[in-house]
Amino acid sequence: MDEKGRLEKFKASTTPSDPSKGLMDALNKAARFYGLDARDFLGQIEVLVHGTTLATNILLTGRGAKAGMITTEGFRDTIEIRRAIKPIDVSLYNLFIPPNRPLIPRSRRIGIAERTLYDGRVLTSVNERQVADAVAKLETQGVESIAVCFLHSYANPANERRAAEICREVAPKIFVSTSHETLPVWREFERFNTTTVGAYVGPAVGRYLNALDQVLKDSGFRGTLLMMLANGLVQNISECVKRPVFLLHSGPAAAPAAAVHIGKSMGARDLLSVDMGGTSFDVCLINNGEIPATTEHWENDQRVAIKMVDISSIGAGGGSIAKIDSLGLLRVGPESAGAEPGPACYGRGTEATVTDANLILGYVPADYFLGGEMKLDGDASRRAMKPLAGRLGTDEVGVAEAIFRTVNANMAGKITEVSTKRGYDVRDTVMIAGGGGGPIHAGFIAESLGIGTIVVPPVAALYSAFGMFAMDIGQDYARSFVSRVGNIDLAALNRVFAELEKEALASFRSHGIGADKVVLKRTADLRYVGQFHEVECDISNGKLTQKAVDAAAAAFARKHEELYTFAMPWKPVEVLTLRLKATTPKARFTLTRVAAGGKNPASALKRRRTCRFEGRDVNTPVYDGEKVLAGHVIAGPAIIEETTTTVVIPRKFVCSVDKYKNYVLTRRRG
Amino acid sequence: MSNSKIDPTTVATIWHSMQTICKEMRHIVKRTAQNYLIGQLQDLSVGIWRADGATIAVPAGLPVQFLGTTFAVQDLVKTFAKNIHPGDVFLTNDPYHGGHNCHLPDWGYIRPIFYKGELMFFSLCRGHQMDTGGSFPGGYFPNGYDIHAEGICIPPIKVVKQGRERTDVIDLILNNVRWPDGVKIDLYAMIGATTRCEKRLIALLDTYGKKTVKAAVQEMLARTERAVRDEIRKIPDGIYEGAAATDDDGTVLDEPVWVRVKITVKGDRMTLDFSESDAQRKGFVNSVYAATYGNAIAAVCLAFDPALADYHNQGTMAPIKVIAPLGSVVNCQYPATVGASPVNVGNQVMEAVLEALSKALPHRAAAAWGKHRGDYVFAVDPRNGERYVRTTFDYDGSGGAVWGYDGYQGLSSITALGAVNRGNVEEMEVRIPWRQLKYEMVADFTGAGRWRGGPGIHWEAVNEGSAGQMATGSSDGDEMLGFGACGGLPSPPCRTYLRRNGEDVRVKPHRMTDVKEGDVLIKHSSGGGGVGDPAERDPEMVREDVENELVSVNAARDVYKVVIDPITLEIDYEATQELRGRSSR
Repeated sequence: MDEKGRLEKFKASTTPSDPSKGLMDALNKAARFYGLDARDFLGQIEVLVHGTTLATNILLTGRGAKAGMITTEGFRDTIEIRRAIKPIDVSLYNLFIPPNRPLIPRSRRIGIAERTLYDGRVLTSVNERQVADAVAKLETQGVESIAVCFLHSYANPANERRAAEICREVAPKIFVSTSHETLPVWREFERFNTTTVGAYVGPAVGRYLNALDQVLKDSGFRGTLLMMLANGLVQNISECVKRPVFLLHSGPAAAPAAAVHIGKSMGARDLLSVDMGGTSFDVCLINNGEIPATTEHWENDQRVAIKMVDISSIGAGGGSIAKIDSLGLLRVGPESAGAEPGPACYGRGTEATVTDANLILGYVPADYFLGGEMKLDGDASRRAMKPLAGRLGTDEVGVAEAIFRTVNANMAGKITEVSTKRGYDVRDTVMIAGGGGGPIHAGFIAESLGIGTIVVPPVAALYSAFGMFAMDIGQDYARSFVSRVGNIDLAALNRVFAELEKEALASFRSHGIGADKVVLKRTADLRYVGQFHEVECDISNGKLTQKAVDAAAAAFARKHEELYTFAMPWKPVEVLTLRLKATTPKARFTLTRVAAGGKNPASALKRRRTCRFEGRDVNTPVYDGEKVLAGHVIAGPAIIEETTTTVVIPRKFVCSVDKYKNYVLTRRRG
Repeated sequence: MSNSKIDPTTVATIWHSMQTICKEMRHIVKRTAQNYLIGQLQDLSVGIWRADGATIAVPAGLPVQFLGTTFAVQDLVKTFAKNIHPGDVFLTNDPYHGGHNCHLPDWGYIRPIFYKGELMFFSLCRGHQMDTGGSFPGGYFPNGYDIHAEGICIPPIKVVKQGRERTDVIDLILNNVRWPDGVKIDLYAMIGATTRCEKRLIALLDTYGKKTVKAAVQEMLARTERAVRDEIRKIPDGIYEGAAATDDDGTVLDEPVWVRVKITVKGDRMTLDFSESDAQRKGFVNSVYAATYGNAIAAVCLAFDPALADYHNQGTMAPIKVIAPLGSVVNCQYPATVGASPVNVGNQVMEAVLEALSKALPHRAAAAWGKHRGDYVFAVDPRNGERYVRTTFDYDGSGGAVWGYDGYQGLSSITALGAVNRGNVEEMEVRIPWRQLKYEMVADFTGAGRWRGGPGIHWEAVNEGSAGQMATGSSDGDEMLGFGACGGLPSPPCRTYLRRNGEDVRVKPHRMTDVKEGDVLIKHSSGGGGVGDPAERDPEMVREDVENELVSVNAARDVYKVVIDPITLEIDYEATQELRGRSSR
């Protein structure tokens, strides 16, 4: 976005061996667009917000660091016993599942004599000798990352802090993270496992961020680099490196903000945001314009208890690999060919992927991928299908159709799971489809779910990046503060909020944003005394009086009734955690409008080609996304080629183009 | 077929919606309850039944708590006849008198759901209360004189009548339990869940119409029944036997109590006959028919294709007959005590069925899980002067092996099938005055096999509160071992000790004992049974276990016949081959 508030989009391929290269490629493209030398262009950028799926992909593909754990003696199996929780989607009546494989195996979890009590008193100081020996032992095992996880460290982090210091002294090259820095909240399984996930993704994330920082500086960048976080907010690099787990869903976490923005322009508030990239398919159900958050997230069978935008995902993307399983059934994903080697048609891989299927079916143009920057090799796709064709008793096109149907069913199933879990009927929603693959598959998924309207924004391929513009930037702060509402220490309460606010404002100042531009929003987690789960409620700003605290408790009672059908006015209420969200309003921006045309899209017709619809070859009109005008109505089956994506309109849908060039697909009646 | 006009997508949508409603009910209770067992450990069941008692949706819960609810609903409809109205909520915890409940601490709230004047469904939310009255807190104490000694017995009665709370009735009930304030919170939580169920089902009926929903339910039951009959047909016709015993009945000590089953499979039907089981006992291990039924049906489901797991309903039960003679330990008569029966003999009902089916279908073999090791401690917390009772699943071992996989780590009590969770040490220490000293898996303390049981667990904590008492009522497994299947070994014996003044005093299951200030409670709880011959275990898996200190070098050699160098932890393939060759000859 430029100083006039105009938004432009640029996209480059992912480069897994050196992910910062992909970002630099995109920035170079942008520089060329503005007619600037890359160095000058970078020098003019004030804020660069960056999202990355690196951490998510590491967890999904199991390619994380060899990590070790230093923990309280006698408790080294916390992440393996894992509170006896089976994988959350496995039925009660199914015993035939493999045992869980913790990210840090037992042989690399070492107990240390130390103990902090529930009230923060240190019963036993950390045995420094044992820590040093443990680090040395882990180092000889080839460990790159150590998680320090002690009981009750949220109440007093002294022992964890000391142990982390020793780790850094003994093995300066090892990445060290602590549970109290990752998630300073009680309940050790959730805290330890979240820390373990951070330790697992941390080294690769750290390497990437530091390399990126360096490359940017070397290229003349003088502004602020902010990373998009799981909670839908942003953070600077040095803080991110300390808490790499917050980079899970970085990028995808911004997508719902894009959906809300697009929905608003159409007056729709119940939205289904879907984002299909190369590796995964992300779903977020937005009810009444509110982006849902959760602290109950499981990512790839790992409990991650930080507060996150509530997005669910499965391994279904353009790179998802098709295989035949031992029962002779076709499976698509979750394994992905990623960007390297990539789908067979990229010319390096040999395994059949969803993108290969889309190419064979005619949905993806061989000559106009990334606006023609990359030529796709259809013969390579067909070669990759061949072995599958033999086993399925069909031809290459038959395999491509089967892959397409299977991956669509996988995605539709995920949507059903998400919507029913939240108790909403998915047919009442408008689907907003983004990601490189979303616009290709959305129509077919919507058809199977009975969804009537799909919107494909012109920024589809940069869907979550667009979300980053659509959202406020800021940070979340939290501090444990346990007290009953009735006899709360107001001075202490005000002190904690003052400290949180001071910290927040200092952080904004370091980004060059003054206090006058920062919006502070306080909340507190409350519950009835005796309960086990809290409800987050608003609490007023400024100096808090007993009256203000009582008002928060009253708000809690109302919210409790709304969420759970009852309130209990006779029960005392207690505070568990104080939270502060500090944001700065986003800069206003405008989307480029397209000129109006009539209903007839003939002027945008680019060519015709054979595509596969409902098991038949169809001579399909292909429209040029660059020439489409507001008001055009395009009946399916049809294809619209954008530079960064392809919109496939199934037979049962009609597409109309609005003034921002959103493609609105509506199901035909009858 | 009459329902052919319903398209499969509608059936699937209604099916999944009903399951989702159940999950949402469970979520409400979990988020609002104050009782540790419900709020954190999920000792809780929810489901939806048709007006005639047919089971429709039972995705989440403890089989013993709810799979037999069909009997309770049938009786309710009979007893109350025309006196069931919209806005009514029934409460019952009674094993007898039409309650069909497994034991008194499990209170069930049943709400009839009407649509346009017609009774359509019942929803149930049943959870383990913090207390239910009786001689001692917690409900798992041995030696009650009769069922009345075990707590307040509530036959099915209305606690809410056409939307209005029957405050006097509720007060009477709460006046008969300890911690009435806490129990009252849970009462609202559970009623709240049934309110949500009603709201969601009515919305579903609004969307699809009564006729379609009814037809869809019929189709759901029919589809499941067809699939289950196909599964039974895959079991070779024949008679298969299994048996399991609990250490004793808590009154007549050190004399095991046996559950025996004979499963007859013929075509697409099967009969589970428990007639050879022991007679009803003086002690508290007696199970009512509905409880035995729930456990037996659940165990059979485990042997079916896991793809069906989410879709069990009345259709599953139609081709399966469960015989348990009146007056036996698996179908006891009033006024027999039943306190421990959800675990002991509930566990044994499941083990016996699984053992029998593992013989019938080796590729679906499932070994016993670690026994439940529950102890209830009740005393005073000096930090606030309040009484407390400690209830937990943290003591337990792990799941048993199945054909193809090692036992799942940490799973607790097979009767819960993994529905219950363990707590966090941090939460426990905040709530009660015990400090945890150790909570870890142990080496060589599970059933070995080609697939071994999940690891056994060593649990140890010190009492920093007042003196009090402890009931080891739901503990088991000191004498009678969980079985291994297809040549797998059983899980080893468990032990409980109280360390007082440096001396370890053994405490057997099903006993009451004093707990003093400063006592250390030590639980050695073995893992599950193994499946398959340990000498056939992949040597690489044995090596990994040795590296993870779950199997010792000695056990690797003696039990698994794998020779591992104690220093490098590498496999000596030659020596292993020689050892395995020799042992097979």
